[in-house]
Amino acid sequence: MNRRHFIRRSGTAALGLVAAPYILPSGRLFAATGARRVNHVVYVLFAGGIRNQESVGQQYLVNQGAGPAGNIMPSMLSGSAPSGALLYDPWTPLGPPLASRGTLFPAMRYAQGPTGHYNGHTVAMTGHYTATGLNLNINPEYPTVFEYYRKHTDPARSAMNSWWISTELGPYPSLNYSRHPEYGPQYGANYAMPGYALGETAQEFLGGLQVLHPEEATRLQTLKGTLDGFFDKGPGDIPGVNNSRADREAIQDLYLRLLNGDEVLEPPLPVGVPPWNVNADGVNVALAWKILQRFQPELMVINTTAADVCHDDFSGYIRQIHKADFAMGWLWDKIQSDPVLADDTVMICLPEHGRNLAPNALTDDNGLLAYDHTEDQNSREIFGLIVGPPGVVRQNAVVGSEASPVGESIDIVPTIAELLGFLPDIPTGFLPGRVLTEAFA
Amino acid sequence: MLASWAPHRAAVPGAALRQGLRYLLFAAGACVLAIAGPSCKPVEKDLVIDDLVYGIDTIPVYASAAEKTRLKSESQFLGTAYANLYLQPIGSSTLNELALVRLANGDKGLIGELVLENFLNDPTAQATMPSNADMRADLDAFVESTYLRFFQRLPGAYEQVAVRRLIEADPDMDPIDVYRAFINSNEYLYY
Repeated sequence: MNRRHFIRRSGTAALGLVAAPYILPSGRLFAATGARRVNHVVYVLFAGGIRNQESVGQQYLVNQGAGPAGNIMPSMLSGSAPSGALLYDPWTPLGPPLASRGTLFPAMRYAQGPTGHYNGHTVAMTGHYTATGLNLNINPEYPTVFEYYRKHTDPARSAMNSWWISTELGPYPSLNYSRHPEYGPQYGANYAMPGYALGETAQEFLGGLQVLHPEEATRLQTLKGTLDGFFDKGPGDIPGVNNSRADREAIQDLYLRLLNGDEVLEPPLPVGVPPWNVNADGVNVALAWKILQRFQPELMVINTTAADVCHDDFSGYIRQIHKADFAMGWLWDKIQSDPVLADDTVMICLPEHGRNLAPNALTDDNGLLAYDHTEDQNSREIFGLIVGPPGVVRQNAVVGSEASPVGESIDIVPTIAELLGFLPDIPTGFLPGRVLTEAFA
Repeated sequence: MLASWAPHRAAVPGAALRQGLRYLLFAAGACVLAIAGPSCKPVEKDLVIDDLVYGIDTIPVYASAAEKTRLKSESQFLGTAYANLYLQPIGSSTLNELALVRLANGDKGLIGELVLENFLNDPTAQATMPSNADMRADLDAFVESTYLRFFQRLPGAYEQVAVRRLIEADPDMDPIDVYRAFINSNEYLYY
């Protein structure tokens, strides 16, 4: 081979190396071309089982034959409050209703499967309807929205960018990742249940602690690294989410500051309302805001569940919906006060399922009838609210009606995937729902 | 009686190791029984403490780390950590509450580190730890007893040397630093 030949061949090879595609961790050859619409999504399971009659229907006590119609969700929905017979202390919204800053889907459907709370959460977070025999003790079968986000976002995002915050334990901690063989904990979200993570036991045992001194931390890492080197199971074998050392210490620092009183959770309450009015929903929203403010995650899912008292306390149900409604307005107001999150965040609110049309036999202290959720058509009727910047989300729009329902529970996951730009990377056939494009500007 | 996630058996050499192991293994055994409960297979062998103390029999330990294949539950992890550090079983209500705190966090290591740090900083637990001087007086014995205390097995030859050298290289490293690493290790998550 002469010199000219060699140079030409080696040049061609080098060119080939430069031009050759390389496979990304997501399995794609090149980064996704789909642009993000925003960089942050907060998904609120406005849960506990809420009937459309009392939410978007604004029928208040009409169905009980005990009072007027009216809007008990003034922070989220447009409409006049009930003219009288109030079962709740009205909390004045912090701004215009969220519906005016986004698109309302007043007639969505939870089309299939049992209308149970965990089923509803699973559907909403995986984009798949669940079978009757859903196992409450293990992670869901299909990937969660967190796993799609972390696996198919390029460059890959850490767990610090995705959070699931729930009001209760039970099966809910297992919703931060699935048991799907192609996804799983390595793509899972951080999870917190503030009632225990920051509750009395945590304060008793963890209050007063400080993060390790740097020298202690170095010793720990050195010794632990040596011990781990002799063991054949690494972080990938250990179930659960693993943060990087730096992220873990940042979260620990936040928890310890909260437990030690160096920082406090700001309650989602109107000015002048005493703190004892905060319920588990409020604590959940307060921690969600603290994490949003501190870490600015790109994907957060939270829930509210207090409205489930409706099984035997309709008056309490009304009060809890009103409180949760205020908390949504409060959270949106906080998001707009943050220089990173403002105008770059979409918030989606969706009940996990509805409630029955017919009441059960129980009455509360006001003689009002209670409602269960046992898979009648009414318990499949829900609403959705998508709020965001004017250039991203249609403002003050209403899509669908009872005569012409639009949207299903399974549509939220693909909609989030579209908003955060990773939908094109999700393999075909994984998501049966569709993007709610009607909400986009 | 030992539950199924209790270790296999191997001989334990060295008189220096025996001191203190009586209570260590009794506590660990009691903890295993209390925590593993009905989910574990029944009896392998009665633990005879005097056999251990006087070295006239064998004690139950793992032959190697490879035998540990099952992940500890929330209760098992916290219960064994408490027993290994305090040398007494944890109260059931405390255990249940702490298990819920750990369950309330997705990154188990994150919250586990904090709970374990609370144990490590408790004077009651620290009273069971040797002093720095005692540790360095016989490092090989300390390393072996620490492996037995937390991993319920003897160190391999390479492990023995590696851990000993790390301690030797850092005069400020105290037993609490070593214990912290053991209970935060990946192996400690398994049985």
